[in-house]
Amino acid sequence: MRAQIFVFALSIVICAKAQAELKWEQTTIELRPTPADKQAIGHFKYQNMGDKSVHFKSVRTSCGCTAAQTQKDEVPPGDKGEITATFNIGDRTGTQVKTVTVETDDPASTTTVLTLKAVIPQQLAITPTFVFWQQGEAPNRKTIGVSAAKDFPVKHLKVASSSPDFEAKVSETGNGQFKISVQPKDTKQPFAATLTIQPEGSPKTFYATARVTTAPAINSR
Amino acid sequence: MTSATFNLKLRTSNILWRIVDLIVGGIFIYAGALKMFDPVRFASDIDNYKILPWTIGVALAFYVPWLEIFCGIALVLRFLYRGGLSILTALVLVFTLATVAAKVRGLDITCGCFGHASQHWSFPAHIATNLAILAALLALCFQAAAKRKAAH
Amino acid sequence: MKSALVYQTLVLAALALVPGIGEALYFHDKISWRSSIPASEMVSVEQARAWGDSAIWVDARPDEDFAHNHVPGAFSLNEDRWNALLPQFLAAWSPSKKVVVYCSSLNCNASREVARRLRDEAQLKNVFVLEGGWEEWLKKK
Repeated sequence: MRAQIFVFALSIVICAKAQAELKWEQTTIELRPTPADKQAIGHFKYQNMGDKSVHFKSVRTSCGCTAAQTQKDEVPPGDKGEITATFNIGDRTGTQVKTVTVETDDPASTTTVLTLKAVIPQQLAITPTFVFWQQGEAPNRKTIGVSAAKDFPVKHLKVASSSPDFEAKVSETGNGQFKISVQPKDTKQPFAATLTIQPEGSPKTFYATARVTTAPAINSR
Repeated sequence: MTSATFNLKLRTSNILWRIVDLIVGGIFIYAGALKMFDPVRFASDIDNYKILPWTIGVALAFYVPWLEIFCGIALVLRFLYRGGLSILTALVLVFTLATVAAKVRGLDITCGCFGHASQHWSFPAHIATNLAILAALLALCFQAAAKRKAAH
Repeated sequence: MKSALVYQTLVLAALALVPGIGEALYFHDKISWRSSIPASEMVSVEQARAWGDSAIWVDARPDEDFAHNHVPGAFSLNEDRWNALLPQFLAAWSPSKKVVVYCSSLNCNASREVARRLRDEAQLKNVFVLEGGWEEWLKKK
């Protein structure tokens, strides 16, 4: 019983002592890049509140697409600085969480995990992005569903097939929802086409692929 | 004070403590059952704290919910009572420390004792719940210790 | 009195172990003990090699890494240039193939993300993440 109270008291003391000398303004940054942005950049600002210099031992990122940068290796007492985490958006969508692990020789907290959260708008959700027919299969219509994000009103959608072998028709089902119906002329030969999906008034283009595949049907798994 | 009123007082207080037992025990049975049904999610929740290696997290995800359920039952039935109390106190302490540690390190944690039901809780809500449960457990510990002394 | 407490604690701890182990056995194929992806969506280097020609390899690492070196015959498919790279991969894919996605090491996320998009967006079946990634592939060369 005594021991439990002691452990509890001790835990409070430990928590109170865990004040880092290197104080971060924030360790989590949430960014909301616009569809036109190529990069999302987070600035993690810090200040040395202790009375000794702090050295950065390593700055590691959770994945190749984030680059972190320390401006200096040594932070004298009272000095300020920042670690910049750059996230290349590329063709990513949705919420991306990347971490930067910072190691210092600060005895109070040697490792700090900085979190960069980027919420990349997905204007159009296309499912599936790929339709295929097997050679010899009946050339029936297959449907691709397109739905626009709530804050991205799409009135009209243009779809073009890169090859005349496939016919693609758009129909609106209302509420920002569309259906693209795709049909190959025949399935005698294997061929492929890229469908270019262009929402009216948007600079961004979206893609889907249609294909007649060569392989015979194998139901694996 | 006559012995009759004394007995009455003792009985009322006993009943009150029983109610605390039932509530705390019930909370842990409920919390354990929630997590027990979805150990995969619980494992990834543990992983979110970035304290333990994945393998240990998986082991705990299978084990801890059952431990909570059994200790909760022990509290409700008053069987292996003190054992259940001490395990639960230790568990809540660990949960609280882990939550605080995650907060200090700036992690975005989506979990607590109640599996995913508590994922939208704020940090103060987490800590407040944990401390309230901890307080109830400690009170029960004191009560059990006092009773044992009185019996000796 | 102290020993009674220890005894009770141990009994409860041991009791919980029984259904815990039972559950672990029941869930054995739903969760991997080695990494945070379900075992059914992972594949070891040995297994993927054993698939031979029925496997199609996908390199989820950035372009520079792919240019430097990659699994022979692998397709580059990363999220930096997803829209440009996806059609090339799909042109080589066929329904009988098993897709093996890898990134640099055990801890990288890119292969999981690429595998997820292939499963969810392109709705491909039989998409696997290579355990240990490129590092492991090199080690077992």
